[in-house]
Amino acid sequence: MRQSLAILGAVGAVTLGVSLTPGAAMAQSTLESVKERGHLNCQVGLPTPGFYALDADGTWSGLDVDVCRAVSAAIWGDPDKVEYQSVTSAVRFTSLANGESDMLARTTTWTAVRDTQLGLDFTFVNFYDGQGFLVPVDSGITSALELDGATICVLTGTTTELNLADYFRANGMEMTPVTNENVNVLVETYLGGGCDAYTNDKSGLAARRSAFPDPTAHVILPQTVSKEPLGPVVRQGDDAWANIVRWVGYGMLEAEEFGVTQANVEEMAANPPGPGVARLLGVEGNIGEGMGLPADFMVSVLKAVGNYGEAYERHVGENTPIGIPRAGTLNALWTQGGIMYPPPFR
Amino acid sequence: MAFARQDDDARRGGFRPGALLSDEKTRSITFQALTLAAVVALFWWLVDNTLANMAARSMSAGFDFLPVTAGFGIGFTLIEFREGDSYWRVFQVGVLNTLLVAVVSILFATVLGLIVGLARLSGNWIVATLARAYVEFLRNTPLLLQIIAWFFGVFNLLPRPRDSVEFGAFALNNRGFYMPSPVPEPAFDAVLAVFVVALGGAIALQVWAKRRREATGRLFPAVRVGLALVVLPPLAAHLALGQPLGWNIPALKGFNYDGGVSVPPAFCALIVALSVYTSCFIAEIVRSGVQSVSRGQREAAGALNLPNDWTMRLIILPQALRVIIPPLISQYLNVTKNSSLAIAIGFPDLVSVWMNTSLNQSGRAIPIVAMTMAFYCTVSLFVSLVMNVYNRSVQLKER
Amino acid sequence: MAETHAETALIFQPKPARPAPAAASGPVAWMRRNLFSDVPNALMTLLGGYILFVVVGAVLDWAVFGAVWSAESRRECLDAVGRAGACWPGVAEWLPNMIYGLYPKELVWRVNLGFLTLLLWIAPLFMPRVVSKVNIGVSAVLLFPFLASYWFHGGEMGLLWRVFVAAGIWGFVWVWATALSEQFAGRPIGQTLLAALGAEDAADADQRRILRIAAALLYVAALALTLAWRLEEVGTRLWGGLFLTLVISGIGITFSLPAGILLALGRRSDMPVISMLSTAFIELFRSVPLITILFMFNTMMPLFMPEGTDVNQLLRAIVAVCFFAAAYMAEVIRGGLQAIPRGQYEAASSLGLGYWRSTQLIVMPQALRIMIPAIVGNFIGLFKDTTLVSIIGLFDLMSMARAVGEDTKWLGLFIEPFFVVAMIYFVFCFAMSSYSIGLEKKLAQGRDRG
Repeated sequence: MRQSLAILGAVGAVTLGVSLTPGAAMAQSTLESVKERGHLNCQVGLPTPGFYALDADGTWSGLDVDVCRAVSAAIWGDPDKVEYQSVTSAVRFTSLANGESDMLARTTTWTAVRDTQLGLDFTFVNFYDGQGFLVPVDSGITSALELDGATICVLTGTTTELNLADYFRANGMEMTPVTNENVNVLVETYLGGGCDAYTNDKSGLAARRSAFPDPTAHVILPQTVSKEPLGPVVRQGDDAWANIVRWVGYGMLEAEEFGVTQANVEEMAANPPGPGVARLLGVEGNIGEGMGLPADFMVSVLKAVGNYGEAYERHVGENTPIGIPRAGTLNALWTQGGIMYPPPFR
Repeated sequence: MAFARQDDDARRGGFRPGALLSDEKTRSITFQALTLAAVVALFWWLVDNTLANMAARSMSAGFDFLPVTAGFGIGFTLIEFREGDSYWRVFQVGVLNTLLVAVVSILFATVLGLIVGLARLSGNWIVATLARAYVEFLRNTPLLLQIIAWFFGVFNLLPRPRDSVEFGAFALNNRGFYMPSPVPEPAFDAVLAVFVVALGGAIALQVWAKRRREATGRLFPAVRVGLALVVLPPLAAHLALGQPLGWNIPALKGFNYDGGVSVPPAFCALIVALSVYTSCFIAEIVRSGVQSVSRGQREAAGALNLPNDWTMRLIILPQALRVIIPPLISQYLNVTKNSSLAIAIGFPDLVSVWMNTSLNQSGRAIPIVAMTMAFYCTVSLFVSLVMNVYNRSVQLKER
Repeated sequence: MAETHAETALIFQPKPARPAPAAASGPVAWMRRNLFSDVPNALMTLLGGYILFVVVGAVLDWAVFGAVWSAESRRECLDAVGRAGACWPGVAEWLPNMIYGLYPKELVWRVNLGFLTLLLWIAPLFMPRVVSKVNIGVSAVLLFPFLASYWFHGGEMGLLWRVFVAAGIWGFVWVWATALSEQFAGRPIGQTLLAALGAEDAADADQRRILRIAAALLYVAALALTLAWRLEEVGTRLWGGLFLTLVISGIGITFSLPAGILLALGRRSDMPVISMLSTAFIELFRSVPLITILFMFNTMMPLFMPEGTDVNQLLRAIVAVCFFAAAYMAEVIRGGLQAIPRGQYEAASSLGLGYWRSTQLIVMPQALRIMIPAIVGNFIGLFKDTTLVSIIGLFDLMSMARAVGEDTKWLGLFIEPFFVVAMIYFVFCFAMSSYSIGLEKKLAQGRDRG
């Protein structure tokens, strides 16, 4: 009895292994394998408010999560066919490169090295960020240039860490970094006085400050010490797939430019006010076809997540706890003084 | 095993193909050859797959990134490190930090473990209970949580630099512990030389005293004399040469203390957490070691009218140590491995600074993980080697 | 004076009783004996009491007296007590996630039922009259995982998986039939069955045939049951919290024992190739921290596999944990094997037992018995070490605790969830270690008597 059980067990372990590992052929294109699988493997980071937030009910939401949802809507007309893969930043690129994730939407800074040496392809920028410093008001510091000799809390493994070092080197200043990969640990260290300043992308600084015991006791210094174009990333070598992600993103911007919203998209699709909207919504021409998508893919996208402006206001805008104003910043449309400039849909 | 081996047929007859399986000796060779072939094939398959995958994903495995500028700062280094230094330098910093944490934690853990282990054997109920509670609570919660708890529960709550706790030339605040650092002048070399000679003399004295004791049974207080030899002449030389050793005393300047040597709170938290956690296991090892020496040994020593300290030193300890040392060494290895949890509070040890930050910044997963594993393997194999030699020397000789 | 003496000498005059000795029992005596027997001891007592008072007091102040028990968001907690007291409502809201991860709330009963099945499976081990405890234990290790895998994962069963899930059902029925038969009828299930069929007196061969047919019929019934059984699929990405921690450590623990035994035997084997390979495996996995092994498996295993194989992330972590645990277990068992006197091997050999028979019947039972405390200690270590899977991004208990502080409502709340996690780990580990100490004492009694 025991011996046969042992054999049964051995075979069983192998079977279980095999059954939990559905094979996917890399030879086929990403779109094909995604369609075959029936869901999109979209990689986000560890939960972060505003961009990929997880609530107690287990639902993901945020500006980056909306990119995943939009792509899913473009493919199937259903924004919920997404499996969110929440992984640490240490393994994000390998996870994408080895085919585990189809795309990565997790506030990843577009840099030359990443784009050219790691087998990655950046698609578009969905948020322009910049690194800043948060200091206690009572420290009397008013400029980042007064931070010589300071101890600074910084998130490790990010471009933030490199920018910090660069900034101090460039200005001939000294600093001691206190690093961690957990923002809460850094914030707790900073609040306990373990460092003189906390540095991160400015979008994150404001959000964190709102959760301090006394938010008014801390101030964000005026300097922005880096360029942080954040955007979704796909694996290099499948241009068709990169195009899908890229043009879904641009489509959301284009829709905002044309005034197409979640609420009025059906109506607009029925009676397009102009040729631009007609092309965007697939009423005229068939831009979707070139990507292997239905002609009206943007209608599904807009119905699911709305245009870029709506997504922005819903997750990170002034009426959210994150509270990042948009007007007049880089993230505004080019028509409103920003640099969000989608190439034309034609 | 030798006992399991039956009389083999092969010796009687010639070679038969069936003997490949039926004969004990040839079967063993067949079996080994097959296993070896399977393992080699597996490795070949893995390497082949890896190369193919890496080519397909345009990833590079080479070590050519080592001389490239890393471009990030490190909060605590034993050797000079600037933001513009290379990845190779980062690796060195990480290795040294890991070794430092391991060595310091091992020292503290041993002392603490000894105390707690003896406390557990104490007749005082509250002391024994406290010691038991200490051991049970600490060894039953994950170390990762304990490190975080020490960091936030203690070291991050210390006063800020401006309100530091100062005692003489030392200062303690939530940025770390500041100590004066020695600044040797040229004449100090002479003091060092005297010290080295004295140390050599003390060791020679020990050897001589032991030989004489074994030959004649006469005792010589070699430890006390040796200690005096090591301490007094260098001290005399130091005073005679006009104290050629200055001190760099830390002082508050700008944001923080400057000068002297300092250890950051993450380091303190890590050391405390590791030593406290490991001390629980060491305490149990010490307790079981002392308890393992049978009561008859103590009674026999009493019957021979040996004084108490002799009983301890010559009868109990040598026997207890035989039980204590092997698990103790493996605890020391655990400390080295556990120091990798430094990542939780951001102390720049090898895993944190190399396998996390550098990997993240350079994206070279394979060489970086391989180098990290190679380092830990080297340390561990070295310690195992030492331990095996020791183990052999104290093992009961079975006749 | 003399008269008085003479007078009194005539009458028996008892001496006044000496004052009663200070109580030899009761709290005062106990305190005097155990706490204040001499000056150093009294000082130690006072110091110990003071430490206890300060530490426990500070923790209670933060966790109980100064804590906020009801609030809608962390902001409310902060406004009420700042950071001086704990903020429990956030943890309470996330507690289901900390236990089940992102497992769909309406399907959580499946997880509960899975663990209930395990408890039922091993319950017969505590019935006094049940004798097939070894078989029951082995079946819990080998068959239960298949049943549980379907409870937890669900979805489309492949043919092979179906075969094993059916084996799981079969095993469960067998365990309880055996347990009931042995507990109440006092004989093995086979005999009970034969008695019920009136075939007690049939020839041995016939009896065996009947039992085999009965087992086969039961298996067919189980297989039929699996055909009718269809659960909604819950991908492993949604597994998390304490549930995931238990799954990973449970598989690690069950795998480590047999694998560790094989490795330990391999290392002591006198076939040089086998011994070398086993030693290399053990030393490699023991010498590097678990975190590097997890990391390697997580990032590099997909590279090792043929192009296009997609290995589930959870599976990669489990494989890493299993290898790691097996290497540690191998060393523990080797320690046990070394403690077996050579006479035992020689005696087995002189009885004509071969290698496997003597290992199985003579050596291993003794080695395992000596090493039980160490084996349990190893299990505890493994259970605690699973916290590290959070570093590679699996949503175990630790990561879930971390996610609380990233919820927009509870942003920054992270000490409290970690505190709760520490308590959960403590309860589990302390239970295991108390059990092991009890076992150690029981075994020591048996040894000392001899």
